[in-house]
Amino acid sequence: MLFNSWPFLIFFPIVTALYFLAPFKVRWLLLLVASCVFYMAFVPIYVLVLASTIIIDYFAAIQIEKNEGRKRSRWLLLSIIFTCLILFFFKYYDFFTWNVNEAAGLLHSDVTLSALHLILPIGLSFHTFQSLSYVIEVYRGNQKTERHFGIYALYVMFYPQLVAGPIERPQNMLHQFHEKHDFNYDEVISGLRLMAWGLFKKAVIADRLAQFVTPVYAQPSLFDGGVLLVATLFFSFQIYCDFSGYTDMARGAARVMGFKLMLNFDRPYSATSLSEFWRRWHISLSTWLRDYVYEPVAMGLRDRGMYGIVIALMVAFLVSGFWHGASWTFVAWGLFHGVGLSLEAVFAKQRKKLAKAMPTWLFNAIMLVLTFSFINFTYIFFRAKTIADAVLILRHISSWIFPVNQLFSTHIPNLFHGVTSVIASNQFNISCALIVFLVAAESLQARANIGERLKWSPWWVRWSAYQAGIIAIAFGGVWLGSRNFIYFQF
Amino acid sequence: MAEILETLNRIFQDVVDDKNIILKRETTAQDVDEWDSLNHITFIVAIEKHFKAKFTTAEIRSWKNVGDMCDSIARLA
Repeated sequence: MLFNSWPFLIFFPIVTALYFLAPFKVRWLLLLVASCVFYMAFVPIYVLVLASTIIIDYFAAIQIEKNEGRKRSRWLLLSIIFTCLILFFFKYYDFFTWNVNEAAGLLHSDVTLSALHLILPIGLSFHTFQSLSYVIEVYRGNQKTERHFGIYALYVMFYPQLVAGPIERPQNMLHQFHEKHDFNYDEVISGLRLMAWGLFKKAVIADRLAQFVTPVYAQPSLFDGGVLLVATLFFSFQIYCDFSGYTDMARGAARVMGFKLMLNFDRPYSATSLSEFWRRWHISLSTWLRDYVYEPVAMGLRDRGMYGIVIALMVAFLVSGFWHGASWTFVAWGLFHGVGLSLEAVFAKQRKKLAKAMPTWLFNAIMLVLTFSFINFTYIFFRAKTIADAVLILRHISSWIFPVNQLFSTHIPNLFHGVTSVIASNQFNISCALIVFLVAAESLQARANIGERLKWSPWWVRWSAYQAGIIAIAFGGVWLGSRNFIYFQF
Repeated sequence: MAEILETLNRIFQDVVDDKNIILKRETTAQDVDEWDSLNHITFIVAIEKHFKAKFTTAEIRSWKNVGDMCDSIARLA
């Protein structure tokens, strides 16, 4: 079920009302059933895939807690292998067969593996990582096992964050399912406001930008570098509004019922370094990779100095690339980020010297532009269908920015003409205005909490703002065509 | 113990190249901007080198603040 769909508009108020009306001791069951209904709206049978992950990790965690020494490690390993096997089977098996067949072709071998062409269970990577987080935390002694099977199942399946995160830690979520949340007017309003802002970002901004990005990236060879550059810039805001919009709706829906989900985005494009970007972008995944991949590798290789850190970063971002999708484009995207972060780590002292040598505002401005440009460069690989497409896009953009072959040409490329061959000029202008509005609104929110200000403003100001928001979503939203969330595919 | 804290402070200042940072027993990584996951590893390596010690991963993970680090070092001394 999509958050931006009619069924959810019926599902959400019914589940929320029942949640507050139901006695406390059956609320977990109500939420679990609601989460099953939510998940089964996609491919009903896949609820069994989710059930297997839950069962494996529930019992493995108990064994980890019960045992000591090597037995604990064995149970952890077993749990990781089985949970990842499910992920491998559904997400990576076809990619694996494709690569084996390609390699066999190069070696003139007759080996051919058949692909399964399975539909990927929605949000599989998200709940796999959330479930793994539980067993790892139990193994590390940071979390006691949850003996209530229903509550543990709810931890993995809680519908607001089931299909696209945030990837929660058991320490933050499990205790919340044992606590009674009474109806709290302020929390409900605050949650609904967050949901509305998320829906605005998704329906009004992301889906509008997609109208430009999708056709351009579908056939990049048809467009010049200027159009491809605009499509890439638009994509950076599309993916941000799409994913952070989903997260806002998830956090808002949970907050209405009194649950607190972790912050997943914190104005990532205001970052002045790549490491800061990863502290602001998809925080639940980046902290997951930091704690469970980067840290163990870096800790194990710490005697090797900077080499150990670089290897740990590359491994973490290789995992991140694969996590996003079974394609070499995602792997390339992950590796570029790994290389970028490694360079930042290696040149940290020189960077500091540079910062001291120039005015702070100038240094920050230069670093912001460089960081945003690098992120956009990597997005080309993230969004392109193939590596060949990504290289073609890069070639077109670079020859558009640096037209070395046309140094003496008097012809000035008309960007606006190229752009309006994809969408109408007024649509393009609206898209640009929405990006400016987004940046301004989020900057304002960072300086002065708009929600808090609204709470204390006169009722007519507050309700006028809410009505304006609803009208903007209803009439400014793109409601036709595909409205899927980008991160659902992961 | 105050001596260990002072040494840790000096090591950390070298790691992040900032002489203005003052670590206290209750300081955590969240309290210091420069104390990110990269500097954390460098900091641990520098501590191990200085005190000629080797901590286990479990011990390192159990540190909640600078005070815990001081206590671990004191136990090794």
